[in-house]
Amino acid sequence: MPGQRVLNIDLFVNGLIMGSFYALMAIGLTLIFGLLRIVNFAHGEFYMIGAYAYTLAALKLGLSVWLGLPVAFAVGGIVGWLTERTLMRPLYAGYASWGLMKDEYAVVVTFALSLLLINLVDKVIGPYAVRGPGLVDIPRIALGPVMLTGHKLIATIVAFAMIIATALFIRYSLWGRQIRAVAQNRLGASLAGIDATKTSSIIFTLSGALAALSGALLAPIINTTPDVGSFPAIKSYVIVVLGGMGSIPGSIVASLLLGVLESFGAVYISYDYRDAFGLAILILVLLLRPQGLFGEKGREV
Amino acid sequence: MTRSSQQRLRDELVASLALMAAVAAVPLAVTNDYWLGVLIVSMYFVFLAGGWNLLAGYAGQFSLAPATFAMLGAYGTGLLAYHWQVPAWASIPAGILAAALIGMTLGRIVMRLRGPYLALTTLSFAEIMRIVIGNSYDFTRGDLGLSVPALTNNRLVWYYVFVATVVLMQLALYALLRSRAGLYLMAIRDDEIGAASRGINTAFWKTAAFTLSTALAGLAGVLYAHFSSLVSPELGLILQTGLVICMVFIGGIASLVGPVFGAFLVYLASEALREAGGVQLIVFALLVILIARFFREGLWGLARRLLERPAP
Repeated sequence: MPGQRVLNIDLFVNGLIMGSFYALMAIGLTLIFGLLRIVNFAHGEFYMIGAYAYTLAALKLGLSVWLGLPVAFAVGGIVGWLTERTLMRPLYAGYASWGLMKDEYAVVVTFALSLLLINLVDKVIGPYAVRGPGLVDIPRIALGPVMLTGHKLIATIVAFAMIIATALFIRYSLWGRQIRAVAQNRLGASLAGIDATKTSSIIFTLSGALAALSGALLAPIINTTPDVGSFPAIKSYVIVVLGGMGSIPGSIVASLLLGVLESFGAVYISYDYRDAFGLAILILVLLLRPQGLFGEKGREV
Repeated sequence: MTRSSQQRLRDELVASLALMAAVAAVPLAVTNDYWLGVLIVSMYFVFLAGGWNLLAGYAGQFSLAPATFAMLGAYGTGLLAYHWQVPAWASIPAGILAAALIGMTLGRIVMRLRGPYLALTTLSFAEIMRIVIGNSYDFTRGDLGLSVPALTNNRLVWYYVFVATVVLMQLALYALLRSRAGLYLMAIRDDEIGAASRGINTAFWKTAAFTLSTALAGLAGVLYAHFSSLVSPELGLILQTGLVICMVFIGGIASLVGPVFGAFLVYLASEALREAGGVQLIVFALLVILIARFFREGLWGLARRLLERPAP
């Protein structure tokens, strides 16, 4: 049936597009959760803040939408930097003496931070959904059998460009190499003269900025509300765990896979339960492949 | 358990019973149905906070699903009454049992996960449960919620049912924490490998803590279902779990009285602040961050420190 084939291609392409936004978000979390092993439940709020920054910069300040993207990127970076600076420092300096375990401290503090940011935005900007203007004003582009809005196409290209840039940055730049060194072994890296605290700060800043950019790119497609970040955040965890904890190529592949799976699942299995698929995958991977959770091997000093 | 920590536990029990005695005396002064209702809902949260504190504060297992088990308990009793007209004397224990059994199964499964992995798995479980219940319209009536026959509409009767049950819970928790089992749980929290190497069956005790904690959440859920005569998936919102965590941290984690105090304080304050413009969650979240960052023992710890300062 040709109609069926067109539908499948359409689902596949749309899945890949969603996957590229997921990837942008998941890379930031890969760095924090996969490499630093710090859980951050406020990651979705970085995304939410990016969506708001983009929308408000365009609608309230009247900036060009192309300026809205760097604004969102910068705002997300600042929030990420502040989070690390004010809340994460005790994690490196023997918090155990306080009696509350390190991981549990991060769980509680970032969970509360998420609650704080959601309600702060709710109070300051309002609980109503806002929608950002598209990057280009082309309602329909035909890409072979697939119909897309102009914004979706451009946003996907931007997302892929940023993903590649980030991957190259982590792989080849000095800071990127420092990040990987700290991820492998914090003590070892600092013995080799790397400022581990500064590196963590860079990771959080980058992670916040990428999540915010992902939110900004999606702002014209989704309805932005203060709690819009909770599902993308959970999905990012699914991706990070699926992608093998800390591997950036792994998380990109996992993002695209999840995007496509959800796109097909919503049509062929059940639309109402579409958000439950990823969660079920997360639980299964955590339980059945715990050995797959520990990305790159640490090195002893 | 050393003498002083036994003494401390007894102090915490006495403080929480004194608090409940004050709560029991409230209807003498307040006859307003609305405020009695607010206090009853506060006590619903006392069960959740008490159960979560047992699991997180004493056994060190940070689950992110306490509200989910209240929802499961409430639906357990609600569905039995709705579909099969099961009377309350049977559906109430059945709801608690359902929550405890699901909790035991989940506890058994997530046993080997720690820290962030445990938090993530329980959070995913919580969301899946809410999505499934919210979308299974034919069986659960979905987001519309399920009506449960009210046992009595007399607020005062409900009020004292909740007070008495909270007192029972506190006595039971005290007995548990004083016993060997309490020591095992705290040993697992402080050093799981060390505890196992001294012959403690950590798998068993962690599952037991999970089961008890979810049974308490289930108890909260069934009582709430019959009190409000309505259950809905909103009982299991992550936000509700967030409130429970706020309560435990603000009141003082790993103490008997902290969660009780925290639940009343947070819920009453949120009622009061709601009228002042809905800033309650901003305040609580900030407080939790500050307490976790700088003063882990919460308000009860602060009070104790002031009381215990030796006389000059």
